[in-house]
Amino acid sequence: MFEQVALPHLDAVYTAALRLTHNSDDAKDLLQDTILRAYRFFDQFKIGTNCRAWLLTILYNNFRNNCRRHTREQLAATVEQFDHQAETRSLVDDPPLRNPEELIATRMAARRFEVVLNSLPSEFREVLILVDVQELNYQEIADVLEIPLGTVKSRVSRARAMIRKAMLKAAVSRGKTGS
Amino acid sequence: MDCREYVDKFLSAHADGELASRERRLADSHVGGCTACRTRLAEERSLKVLVRQHTNIVKVPAEVHLRIRAAIGEMTDPNFIGRNLSTRGQDSDRRFLWPMRQTHVWAPIAAAAAVLLFLAVYSGRSGTPAPATQFHPVPVFDLAIIKYDSLTRYFVPNVPSDRNGTDFAWVMDRRDSGQPDAGMREDIGRSYSEADMPDDLFNFAPTGYQVSGGRLDRLTDGRPVTYTLYRGSRDAILDIGLKDPEMSAPVGAVYWIGMHSFYEYKGYSFCLTLSSPGHFVSITLTRAPLTELIRDVAMADALATSDDQ
Repeated sequence: MFEQVALPHLDAVYTAALRLTHNSDDAKDLLQDTILRAYRFFDQFKIGTNCRAWLLTILYNNFRNNCRRHTREQLAATVEQFDHQAETRSLVDDPPLRNPEELIATRMAARRFEVVLNSLPSEFREVLILVDVQELNYQEIADVLEIPLGTVKSRVSRARAMIRKAMLKAAVSRGKTGS
Repeated sequence: MDCREYVDKFLSAHADGELASRERRLADSHVGGCTACRTRLAEERSLKVLVRQHTNIVKVPAEVHLRIRAAIGEMTDPNFIGRNLSTRGQDSDRRFLWPMRQTHVWAPIAAAAAVLLFLAVYSGRSGTPAPATQFHPVPVFDLAIIKYDSLTRYFVPNVPSDRNGTDFAWVMDRRDSGQPDAGMREDIGRSYSEADMPDDLFNFAPTGYQVSGGRLDRLTDGRPVTYTLYRGSRDAILDIGLKDPEMSAPVGAVYWIGMHSFYEYKGYSFCLTLSSPGHFVSITLTRAPLTELIRDVAMADALATSDDQ
């Protein structure tokens, strides 16, 4: 039963673990501990509810309890730092222009989006990943992160607004420089 | 509803399908009559797609899959540890019948043996004659190595616990700061004791190891198993404790002291401690050289002895 219900979500849980730890060894251990813990407490899982959300709740609890202090936090800590970091990274990391113009524009836009997304303060990026990638609903995210439902709503909204603003700013900036 | 209210309060939840039916009707109604907000909603949905595209789900490496399945198999099989060690033990004439770390009974002997051994190791003499190292596979040691590799990399203590093992962070946060670990050993020991497991943890502090935390788990047959992790500046020591009346030591020990037998196996140093009263078993392992483990155990025994006296 456990194998059928829980193990299909291994990749999703591992992806979340990688996002949290920024280190594949730590992520593997965090994943293993999460799955074994889930196995031991599987009788507490309510059949018919979202098993991925349940596993992610255990993952985040484990991470909060032990792993966070060991990871190298390279993310923007505040909203104010976000703008600066996104801008700085994009200037440094932009690839040289060697391909046809349209392709470059697409690639650079993609690259810029990645930079912007990864520069989001972690609490904002976290909710976006959970809602858009892990496909959890707001209540499940609130349970996973142990925050109020209203906070989830406002973080999702602010996160997207921040991305939009950063992308617009980048577009305007590129328009001015003609690149 | 005006555009500002829609964007500030409804837009994201609308794109995510998180609006209640009444809110959704209002939002749909506004968007239906507002080109700008309809565009914003389309953008918001595109943004969701972009986030998904740029955050790929990563496949779990095959070896991690195997490790997890093996660990689940271990938890599923109630006799896994005992059976394997017992099987190996049938070849062995060596049984250690002294109580595990109950130094109040054997204190003088243990103290003398520990000190002599410690001196022997550090004066370069060989101590107890060691037979040639064999090694047939010893499944329980292989399992212990898997546990060691996993737990030394990522250890989540769950004792002391205040909600059936679900809240234990304070152990690490409160005490893992280089402070003397006697209090932590007492706290962990108390939790072990409540599960009818030995509560006298090794004191490796004199040789530079502090208790990092303790775990109390159960095999699927209900038997408790304890994991106590000690960390030093270079290495870690993991002590695995369980109860098994049928367990006996595998052949191939290279050193003995009292109830402890020592092994070198696949690059790890092992100390196996068997106790007849209570049938407790302790498997202590580290990546540090065997001589260091012998010294650590000997010193811990000597210290426990002096404490008792």
